[in-house]
Amino acid sequence: MYYRIKAENLAQLYQKAADKFESMPAFATRQSAFNWTPVSFREMNNLGLDLATGLIDLGVKSRDHVGLFGDNRLEWMLADYAVQFCGAADVPRGRDISDDEIVYIVNHAGIEVAFVETIKLQNRFIGLSDQLPGLKEIILLDPKAEPASGVKKLWDVLDRGSQLRKQGDRRAEERIAGIRPDDLFTLIYTSGTTGQPKGVMLTHSNMTSQVENLPGYHNCNDRVLSVLPIWHIFERVIEMYTISFGGCTYYSSVLTLGDDMKNVEPTFMASAPRLWEKLHERIIKNIKASHPVRQVLFHIAYFLSKQYQNSLYYLYNKYLKIKPQAAWKHWLLMPFHAVRWALVMPWYGFFNAAVLERIRLGAGGSLKATISGGGALPIHIDRFFNNVGIPVLEGYGMTETSPVISVRSHDNLVVGTVGPFLKDTEVHICDQETGEVLYPNQNLPYDGKGIRGEIWVRGPQVMKGYYKQEELTAQTIKDGWLRTGDLGMITHNDCLKILGRCKATIVLSSGENVEPEPIEMRLQQSRFIDQCMVVGQDKRYLGALIVPVWEEFRNNGHGKMSDIELSQNEDVRKVIRREIKNMISPSSGFKSFEQIRDFRILPNSFQIGEELTNLHKIKRHVVEERYKSELSELYANGSSQK
Amino acid sequence: MEFTTQLLYAHDQILLAIMIFVIMLGMGASLTINDFKAVVRQPKGVLVGFISQFGIMPLIALGLATVLNFNPAFAIALILIGTLPGGTTSNMFTYFSRGSVALSISMTTASTMMALIMMPILLKLYTTGFTSQITASMQAAGETAEFIIPTGNIISSLVMVLVPVAMGMYLRKKSPGWAKTAEDTAGFVGILVILYLLLTAFIRHTSLFIQTPVTVYIGAIGLGLAGFFFGYWFSRLLGVYPLFQRAISLETGIQNGPVSFAVILLSFTEPVQSQMLWLAILYSTFIVITSSIITLHFRKKGRFDWDVYRNTHIHNRLFGKGYVTNYPDGFLHKRIADDPSQGTEPSQKRA
Repeated sequence: MYYRIKAENLAQLYQKAADKFESMPAFATRQSAFNWTPVSFREMNNLGLDLATGLIDLGVKSRDHVGLFGDNRLEWMLADYAVQFCGAADVPRGRDISDDEIVYIVNHAGIEVAFVETIKLQNRFIGLSDQLPGLKEIILLDPKAEPASGVKKLWDVLDRGSQLRKQGDRRAEERIAGIRPDDLFTLIYTSGTTGQPKGVMLTHSNMTSQVENLPGYHNCNDRVLSVLPIWHIFERVIEMYTISFGGCTYYSSVLTLGDDMKNVEPTFMASAPRLWEKLHERIIKNIKASHPVRQVLFHIAYFLSKQYQNSLYYLYNKYLKIKPQAAWKHWLLMPFHAVRWALVMPWYGFFNAAVLERIRLGAGGSLKATISGGGALPIHIDRFFNNVGIPVLEGYGMTETSPVISVRSHDNLVVGTVGPFLKDTEVHICDQETGEVLYPNQNLPYDGKGIRGEIWVRGPQVMKGYYKQEELTAQTIKDGWLRTGDLGMITHNDCLKILGRCKATIVLSSGENVEPEPIEMRLQQSRFIDQCMVVGQDKRYLGALIVPVWEEFRNNGHGKMSDIELSQNEDVRKVIRREIKNMISPSSGFKSFEQIRDFRILPNSFQIGEELTNLHKIKRHVVEERYKSELSELYANGSSQK
Repeated sequence: MEFTTQLLYAHDQILLAIMIFVIMLGMGASLTINDFKAVVRQPKGVLVGFISQFGIMPLIALGLATVLNFNPAFAIALILIGTLPGGTTSNMFTYFSRGSVALSISMTTASTMMALIMMPILLKLYTTGFTSQITASMQAAGETAEFIIPTGNIISSLVMVLVPVAMGMYLRKKSPGWAKTAEDTAGFVGILVILYLLLTAFIRHTSLFIQTPVTVYIGAIGLGLAGFFFGYWFSRLLGVYPLFQRAISLETGIQNGPVSFAVILLSFTEPVQSQMLWLAILYSTFIVITSSIITLHFRKKGRFDWDVYRNTHIHNRLFGKGYVTNYPDGFLHKRIADDPSQGTEPSQKRA
């Protein structure tokens, strides 16, 4: 009943899927709410072979890097099929790529042939052509647009390949046969800490190991709704996984997601935390707007579900177990939970059926599971969805591990963790300074469970390295162990819990990576700002803690006020607000998600040995700990500020 | 066993009456005119359901009453329950058991209307042996009266029960929002009142539970279970789709309990009334438990063909009415292979 294709490389995966699932729909694109166009596995495979032959005819060689710049659409997937069938690797990026990145990536990856999605993007490439000496061919994905001279249309290349194949051209098949497991299937550039993007080399065997090892029960009855950017590794692994079990991927978008969820009734979905936050917001809003009787019923249902689930988690040892539990305590609490479970069950059953089912229907009603990744899911959202009966399987990973390191499964759903490690994957928790292994370590109590440290990973999903950056690769991967730069611990029921990052990089809940240091350096250039720290890990926007230059204010009419009085002064806030707005703006080169939306003024400056290291670097975790209340206040009324 | 005290006090009877009203109103609120039309569109399913509801179920009741050697009052009550139409509870259980809700609603609608004719006929037919027993014992006690099934009263009480259903349907037409609330409330009220009656019976007549012979419990539980079992296999043997089998099974086993309360209260008198009510209460209690268990079982068993049905349904919704879903060879099992949509989408039919 649950079948998954096993393949040595992605080209083989695509072909085997066509042989197995033939005319079942593989991808569906939305024309309007109730009008979607399906493409079957067989059609996709044939189109892919045609386009691949066209590419080979254009001069694409095995192990070439082919640019693929665009967002979710069928032609993107088709281009990926073709690139894999050529034995080449794609270098993907979305439409929001900056000019600098285009120049850097195309030259660094040595791209000769590039797909671009839209006319606008095509024109940018043409405009930059002086700086792109190696780029020979541009192919336009959008079938409705008319390309500039010298630019080819995807469907023309495909038609050419189709003609060749009719004449007996079988070069694509030869290429597929020549793919080795450690050949790259993609080269993904991620924005790095040092300014220039890093090219992450991921191999066929990286991806096929993921497809094989991901936990889950799916078959060709499954419908997968796709909303993440298609070139993001998290979305790609879901795409490959979906192909392996014969499911159909329905391309949705943020704007139409609400309707699409109801019409497509997805059984499986992957998304960043932001989406679950939005969905949660909407559900709560709907409940608040509903009939008072219904509201009461919902609260009763939710309460019962919470009691029921908590006891169930306890009985199955699936609760967030950060501390070890003594055996006597366990046996003492066990009957209590068993009784609570039994007492609540019939009531839960009734309310679950009568009330919570309606909430689930709002999300289509068929979701067997959803996966959240690309950032930490706020715990209350996590609990909410699990309590209303939409299991959220939170996962953890990074582009460098293609991407899944661990994920919660149905059989191991411990809310608050990112689940057990994937099959064949080893994880160590190591001391940040010394590199000493804290877990697994027999000399420590409980083998080192419950101790925080940096997460190191070794397994079949770990990347080959950073392209043309041996030194950086050697720093990141030592003896096969990849240093993730994330802090975590192993819970006492063998799940991984993520605790933050060693590095300063801030990952917003939208999945955007932000380096705080350049922003902080820029802010400190203001004559009013002495010290500052940018925050926003897992939040929707950036915030800042600011220590002003008090003298500036004293010299400007606030002479008699103390630091503390000044820190609460409205004029000071106004000046600082204006300064931040002026300094961190798109015109000064900052992206929209790098804007500081809100800030708090601190009365005391950061001190060496306290908040600062001897080298004047901010100890971020110390600041976060010390100004906890300011930080939570900063994000408390977040939903109103957009 | 004899009832020495009255089972229900006056205020309990009022409460019961309110419950019947609320539940039947909720039932009406869940129905539309289209549901009646749907009966015509699914003739096979409705027909199979009809046979199993009015043909098999009363026979099961008669058989159980005979085999378990019930006293006449319990026997008449059991047969009465066996001839009841289906209620809306079965629609909810069908929904969660991944059965065809459309069929369940059609069957409820059809059987509620048919009950006006079928119930009196069947009751008369199957209870003659037991009524003569009562008459015999009454005459032995020196009375001259004869015990007969009050057919006229039964029909009029059925009509009275249909009044709130009609009101509910009117409510649904006027205000769908309130109709939804009425529907939700009905299920909850039903469970609460049954629990209240049980609890008060437990407090007032603790001995009642012990006095009640084990065979009566077996009958009260067994009637529903046998209904599920025969409903399922009868429809399966006739080659009905799995989705429909689950709906028919639940519809057969789950009877409209409130209607039985109404009929018993309005048409029967002591000495049989209390005993009949007691059996009806026991049946209504145990049916919630047994159908929950059956539903969970069906839900698990029916996962696969439900997924297939949903998937083809959505393909037709999004890709057009004419789209045909071709599953890989050997993926579908025999019973749904020639129509994975299980009778709901014409384009998916293979044979």
